[in-house]
Amino acid sequence: MIKLNINQKVHQIDADPEMPLLWAIRDLVGLTGTKFGCGVAQCGACVVHLNGEAVRSCVTKLKRAQGQQITTIEGLSENNDHPLQIAWNEVSVPQCGYCHSGQIMSAAVLLIEKPNPTDEDIDNAMAGNICRCGTYPRIRKAIHMAAEMQKKGGV
Amino acid sequence: MQEKIKEKHNGLRTLVVISTLSVLVISMAFGIGGNKISNPETQVIPIVKKDSIASVKAFRQVYRVLMSPRCMNCHPSGDIPLQGDDSHIHEMFPKRGHEGKGILSMKCTNCHQPENTKGLHAPPGNANWHLPPADMKMVFEGKTASQLAKQLMDPKQNGNKNMKQLLEHADDGLVKWGWEPGEGRTLPPLTHSEFKKQWQLWLNTGAYAPKD
Amino acid sequence: MSSNEVSRRNFLRVAGLAGTALCLGFYFPSSAEEATIINTNGAADADIEMNPWIYIHTNGKVTLFNHRAEMGQGSYQSVPQIIAEELEVDLKDIIVASAQGNKKYGNQVTGGSSTIRSGYKNLLKLSATARVMLITVAATKWGVPAGDCYAESGHVIHKITNKKFHYGELVEEAAKLPAPKDVVLKKTSEYKLIRKPLKRLDTPMKTNGTAIFGLDKKLPGMLYAAVERNPRLRGTVKSFDDSAALKVPGVKRVFKVKMLVFKTYREGVAVVATSTWAALQGKKALKVEWDDTGFEHISTPVIYQRQQELLKSSEGLFLSKQGNPNETLGKSKDTLDVVYQTPYQSHSPMEPVNCVAHYQDDKLEIWGPIQAPDWVQDYISTEMKLPREKVIVNMTFLGGGFGRKAFMDYPHEASVISKEMGTPIQVIWTREDDATQGPYRPGISYRCQGAVTNGEITALKFRMCGQNNDHWRNGAKSNQANRSTSEGFLKPYYESIKDVSFAEVQFETPIPTMWWRSVYASTNGFAYESFLDELAVQAGKDPLDLRRQHLKDERSQKLIDKMEEVSGWKNRKKNEGYGVAITECFASTVGQIVKVSKDQNGKLKIDQVWAVMDCGWYVNPDIIKAQVEGSIVMALGAATIHEITFKDGLVEQRNFYDYKMPRITDIPPIEVHIMENTADAGGVGEPGLPAFTPALTNAIFDLTGTRIRKLPFDLKNI
Repeated sequence: MIKLNINQKVHQIDADPEMPLLWAIRDLVGLTGTKFGCGVAQCGACVVHLNGEAVRSCVTKLKRAQGQQITTIEGLSENNDHPLQIAWNEVSVPQCGYCHSGQIMSAAVLLIEKPNPTDEDIDNAMAGNICRCGTYPRIRKAIHMAAEMQKKGGV
Repeated sequence: MQEKIKEKHNGLRTLVVISTLSVLVISMAFGIGGNKISNPETQVIPIVKKDSIASVKAFRQVYRVLMSPRCMNCHPSGDIPLQGDDSHIHEMFPKRGHEGKGILSMKCTNCHQPENTKGLHAPPGNANWHLPPADMKMVFEGKTASQLAKQLMDPKQNGNKNMKQLLEHADDGLVKWGWEPGEGRTLPPLTHSEFKKQWQLWLNTGAYAPKD
Repeated sequence: MSSNEVSRRNFLRVAGLAGTALCLGFYFPSSAEEATIINTNGAADADIEMNPWIYIHTNGKVTLFNHRAEMGQGSYQSVPQIIAEELEVDLKDIIVASAQGNKKYGNQVTGGSSTIRSGYKNLLKLSATARVMLITVAATKWGVPAGDCYAESGHVIHKITNKKFHYGELVEEAAKLPAPKDVVLKKTSEYKLIRKPLKRLDTPMKTNGTAIFGLDKKLPGMLYAAVERNPRLRGTVKSFDDSAALKVPGVKRVFKVKMLVFKTYREGVAVVATSTWAALQGKKALKVEWDDTGFEHISTPVIYQRQQELLKSSEGLFLSKQGNPNETLGKSKDTLDVVYQTPYQSHSPMEPVNCVAHYQDDKLEIWGPIQAPDWVQDYISTEMKLPREKVIVNMTFLGGGFGRKAFMDYPHEASVISKEMGTPIQVIWTREDDATQGPYRPGISYRCQGAVTNGEITALKFRMCGQNNDHWRNGAKSNQANRSTSEGFLKPYYESIKDVSFAEVQFETPIPTMWWRSVYASTNGFAYESFLDELAVQAGKDPLDLRRQHLKDERSQKLIDKMEEVSGWKNRKKNEGYGVAITECFASTVGQIVKVSKDQNGKLKIDQVWAVMDCGWYVNPDIIKAQVEGSIVMALGAATIHEITFKDGLVEQRNFYDYKMPRITDIPPIEVHIMENTADAGGVGEPGLPAFTPALTNAIFDLTGTRIRKLPFDLKNI
């Protein structure tokens, strides 16, 4: 049995330690907000936080993740009210929406480490996340907006 | 190996004192994590025989390895690593960061696992995967053999490595990854043992830099 | 109640509202355009030809059955926005459920940028009809003239006394009334919601992981399948060794599958397992021997060599012809004769193709990211030999589609595997499957000829040589030109240029092709609008002036005015390249201007993109802007990065490492403007795409004198 601590909840799962975290989260734990896009850490649709870092769960094996603190999009906030989630809604960022769990999880690490990101910081943090619908201009806008919200302490 | 060389050049042993006056614990590819860096202290390093011709010849071989994609790709001239046998700029532009471990949501280990991920073009990995840190970039890309040899021996540029540490570097885990790079990646032009031999030969014969 | 799979009957049963809700729908006597509005309560319940479109419940909430897919284009927002306007309810009181595939909904194919333009008039009328019925009931209850009552925010209000009824209090009575005919619709100036940049209703569920895409669909007892398919579409399975695959923990069974891809069968070996990971591991462990005989194994250079040979010798089949371009070209001293070339492209939606199917007791239910549920129902019922009503097709959210998910191969494959296993099955395609199996946008060569006499364009002759999607789809007649040969080209040009012809020089390969966002306009636009730029240079005219001169209709003139105004076209500076292109598809016209320059290192950069969209009547300007922004990003990738190539019949690209996507670092500033008019609504999801590439390459010519006639080209090497 492998112990996974996901969103502050412990899950005991019976799985091959070589299984990527992505499939354990989706198929065995049943949290489907984390997406499969490429399987080789190219697109970022599968980003979750592992001890606070934006890891690509499609290449992160259970043996690395077990016993660690894992946060998925479902656990980013209780009421969909993380500044990024609010900003994403304000700016109507998503189109198809499939990549945005990963986009938001990447941006969340950015905002912790750079609370007032410049455009260059956003490039540096977000270039690992592909959006086929091309919502990039709005992702940028929403990250700036979320940073503002954070600064004002309103959320 | 050193012992053998020493014996071979018995009688011509020279003692060289390399003083490491102030050692900033700076990591090279071999510096982080479990790899020990000796305490700052004066060390006595045996040099077998100063032999500029043999040394330069050995470095020519070493240089071929260092400039191969498996080594050079993580010793880029800029702050973004290179990728692939054609050493193109790493897709998605991950930045070096102060410690050489990436930045923000683009830390190296967000994708690079403790081991190679299986499959063509899947991220290669090692427990110690990183670039040289920002204050000791140890650039290979674009360097001539002469420049690279001097840089490797310059304590200001090599993280204050002493001879012993330099000699040991050939067996560093991340260096050795170059010979187990995973599917689809060309190996360096020498075998690891041949590389190690040439590397130590270069150092032990005086670490001469070739004239370009 | 955001569930995508609420069938009408289930919905009524669960909600306990049968007979009490006001249910309005359409009856389509022949075509979707001519819908009649029906009160489905009054008619025979569940009549096959009747479809409930909106339910107004006794609690005042409205359930809307969205008959189209939500694949990013915004139907989840724009359809309720239309309904809320004429029904006078708050958007928050509308619950959107996805309709199932059924002919009674009319055409459900989410393609051709048609969600709004094909349905908005019906939706407006439907909502207004419901409003009138509710007002009628209230007025009757109060004993006042209906004219003294109005509706607002889910209530009917008596103007004089300010008495109010909540809609919920009126629906039971309203459900007994026949639907009135000829209700009066609001004028554009009276709109409170339509034309406002309202936030999308589907955003919250796309920011916290609750939106259910195809891949997220789970059923009790569901098993997972991955399929190793013959990498050459028309090949078959000769034999396979499953011994290693069966040793993978979790793998249950391995068997051969055969799925129809339009008129051709594709074969593969399915691995069914208890988790996606096990299925994928099992797939990797398979050893399959393919039979690849009986069809050509084509390579990319051969494709273009053949196309261009054909274009030298063949006149092709004319789609349209006026005057005599050959004669004018023959007489003119000043002519151009060039070839443009565009690559095959993959759709590469972020959500790889996948589908859930559950076959039991001669009944089949399907869930998936499906662009055309009505087609899937038809197709699967034929292939699986089931009556249509035994095939239930549910649309989930689509993680992108762009045309790929209007193909029926993957639901068919899931159905076949579920039938074999007798359990619910989810088939997942890997990114590599998606990249290597197609279908693709066809690669096309264009021969463009033109004549300039006394500084004026006097003849245009266009020939297109590339695969015709229709040949796959419905076996279009081989003696008919591709109906999309001139797609993208603006009709007013026909008025100002006497001799014009468009012809298709037919060309086929064994490669599967399919619509790709904006379809043939995506490549035609590049060839035709670049060529007009070449002729403008030849004629010594400013490229925007040339368009102004030829596109004489009022809408085009206004569009050009706007383009000129927003881009500062007339004040452009030295060392800046400006390029213009205007294209039309799916009833909307988009003009784009791209500005480029070189940075200190001599590298070309795109400084700015201005896009002006004329889509006539519209719903949500913010969604339109988002669609145009996204179209431009997609076009940027298509123009400068993307190319699917074939070697010996095998696709050479596999994943995002060799079919690279534009990233956030690659995106120029994009400014989108929308023309205000009340012409009939045009499409929004696709028309923003075709003009970008020619505007970019025309700008590059303006700056550097380099004319780009072959895609993709590398921006770094200009």
